Amino acid sequence: MRLTRLLVALFAVVALVAAACGDEEDDAAPAAPATTAAPAVEEEMVDEEAMVDEEMVEEEAMVDEEAMALSFDVDAALDADLDNCGPAPSGDPFIIGFAADLSEVGGFADIPISEAGEYYVSLINCAGGIGGTPVEFVIEDVQGNPEVAQRATADLLEAGAHVILGPPFADVGDAVLQTVNASRAVIFVASTEPVLPDPSIYSFMTTFSDTQQAEAAAQFAIDSGITRAITFSSEGPYFGYNPETFAAKFTELGGELVLDVSYVPFEDFDFASHANEVAGVADGTEILYTAMIAPQLDALRGAIEERGIGTITYFGADAFGVSGITEIPNNEGVYWTDHGFGADGNRYERLNAGLAAKGMPSAAPGFAALAGDSITVAIQGFIDAGSTDPLAIAAAISQLAGVEAVTDTIGYAGTDGTPDTPVYILQILNGETSLAARMS
Amino acid sequence: MIDLLQSLIDGLGRGSIYALLALGIAVIFGVMHMVNFAHGELITVTAYIAFGVVVTTGWGWWAAAPLIFLGAVGTSVVIEFVAFRWVRGASDFTMLLTSFAVHFLVQAIFVMTMGASVRSFPRPEWADRIWSVGELNIQIVDVAVIGTTALTLAATVFLLQRTMFGISLRAAAEDFDAARLMGVKSNKVIRQAFILAGALAGIAAIFYLMRTGQARPTTGLSPLLKGILAAIIGGLGNMQGAVYGGLLLGVSEVLLRSWLPEDLVGITDGAVFALIALFFIFRPQGLLYVRSAERV
Repeated sequence: MRLTRLLVALFAVVALVAAACGDEEDDAAPAAPATTAAPAVEEEMVDEEAMVDEEMVEEEAMVDEEAMALSFDVDAALDADLDNCGPAPSGDPFIIGFAADLSEVGGFADIPISEAGEYYVSLINCAGGIGGTPVEFVIEDVQGNPEVAQRATADLLEAGAHVILGPPFADVGDAVLQTVNASRAVIFVASTEPVLPDPSIYSFMTTFSDTQQAEAAAQFAIDSGITRAITFSSEGPYFGYNPETFAAKFTELGGELVLDVSYVPFEDFDFASHANEVAGVADGTEILYTAMIAPQLDALRGAIEERGIGTITYFGADAFGVSGITEIPNNEGVYWTDHGFGADGNRYERLNAGLAAKGMPSAAPGFAALAGDSITVAIQGFIDAGSTDPLAIAAAISQLAGVEAVTDTIGYAGTDGTPDTPVYILQILNGETSLAARMS
Repeated sequence: MIDLLQSLIDGLGRGSIYALLALGIAVIFGVMHMVNFAHGELITVTAYIAFGVVVTTGWGWWAAAPLIFLGAVGTSVVIEFVAFRWVRGASDFTMLLTSFAVHFLVQAIFVMTMGASVRSFPRPEWADRIWSVGELNIQIVDVAVIGTTALTLAATVFLLQRTMFGISLRAAAEDFDAARLMGVKSNKVIRQAFILAGALAGIAAIFYLMRTGQARPTTGLSPLLKGILAAIIGGLGNMQGAVYGGLLLGVSEVLLRSWLPEDLVGITDGAVFALIALFFIFRPQGLLYVRSAERV
């Protein structure tokens, strides 16, 4: 009798240890094996049934414990003190790979994202990880080159990344997707290109798409009573797509596009002839919408105002926020779409303040916050999947809704992989960045 | 007619910057038979100098302008000393590769140290001001750049025609080995050529950065390409031709920009290249013929 009980108990312990130490597939159903402990001797059925009941209670407790343990609190992570961390999380890490473009092409986004990502992960681990599971953040440089991107992504897969974060531009991003081949989720951190997200291959974006930001701008303009628009555009994605989408939405909402002027992104700074065109049609009540970089707007606005038109409303895409709109001198009143807004000690502000306190002030606070969003989404997918199976995590991510992230809430349920997240419209007022609207 | 005149003034303003850069490229080509792809890095380095001076120290453009000039000269000398001096006797191909290496290295250094983000800095207050003369809108910065370029070119002509340095440089450009046999010190003349090229780039950089107000690791790439193109149009190695090439390129760009229908403006650069290709079918030696001896 004692021997039997001892054997059953030993078997149960072994089963529990096996469940705890199982491979990735086992993690999907962590407590299942223990129920297979059937009694061998009939007269000991009562005792054994009692044993099994005890085991089941224990198992349920474990499942609850694990569910509780696999929880994540963004605020707790952001409030972690890196100089005074709790016990270090241990065990197999949850690995987030970042196929980052650190070159001069995509580095404007991915360098700040890498820095913020590493910092955010250090905060998470400082706060105990994901209920004791450590998070690992692995970065591979794709160098703005699709061929390099394939090799870098393969390295991330080999490193065991459960989720991959992707670079900002579609050509390199597509190479990442091809290499991952729908084997796990790819989350594009800073990309706004509508061609990238596709939930059928587990491709997601962290932020709004160009369609969303341009349409939000058009809606905001109409809501503000503006009925005439001038766009500055250049053929192709982003610099062309945003103004084109803005114009389509603006006219659909009853506005009139009075002029579309072509320019060369990054290159045109002599806007004399462009300003003459604007001066020929503008009466000063227009909104001028563009996706150009902030220094170009400075030159353009100066040229237009020099021709006596000083009351145009200037509105830019999110490029303004990362190209120094707050630094150019003639920025008063300018609007732009952005990924969040730091104020009143919110998460966005706390993450960026933490980076600054560590001597790493982000060159792009919006992108830093998006790093936090992407990592939060990956972790929430892991928690919801209850498993480290990459496909289960990817499937869980596609069903996320209302996840509390760094910039705002974020979700993918029922979307095309573009998140259900608000577009922030910011404005320079009295020399300070202010929140003009939050367009859901 | 007014439109044409307006385009000519705008084009000369733009072309003057190309001309200064092209002249620097022609000077280096003359003495080293190398298209210096590192020349654009003088603009990149000085863009970050401008950012540092205008934003970080808040000293403004009166301090920034001379520092940009000195920065360009200093960078040019350093590039010559660190990179080109060691491959002087090597083939043209090796020197070309060296210039590519410097170009990419400087870019990478800025990406690593400053990041790839655009760094904005305030442009001078007067940069956007215009003088209205009848229907013409003349930008003050255009007048400044055209005037300064004219003075710089006059000074450069004087330097090349009337000084021992200029005579040595022209002799080296004509036939480097013969010049050496005549007592021209190769190290000295090449270093001086880099100083001159740096000075010309420094002046171009002041006006270019006054217009753009931004620094990023690839800031110098576009002006470099325009400068090389202008130098090729003028007849690579011909200093006078480089100036004509720069002005012609600037005017062509602005004229095409105003003549092309709005939907086709995006092909301006492509159209300019196509016209240049057409031009070279009829005049393969460029605007002005350069008589040069092969180095042996």
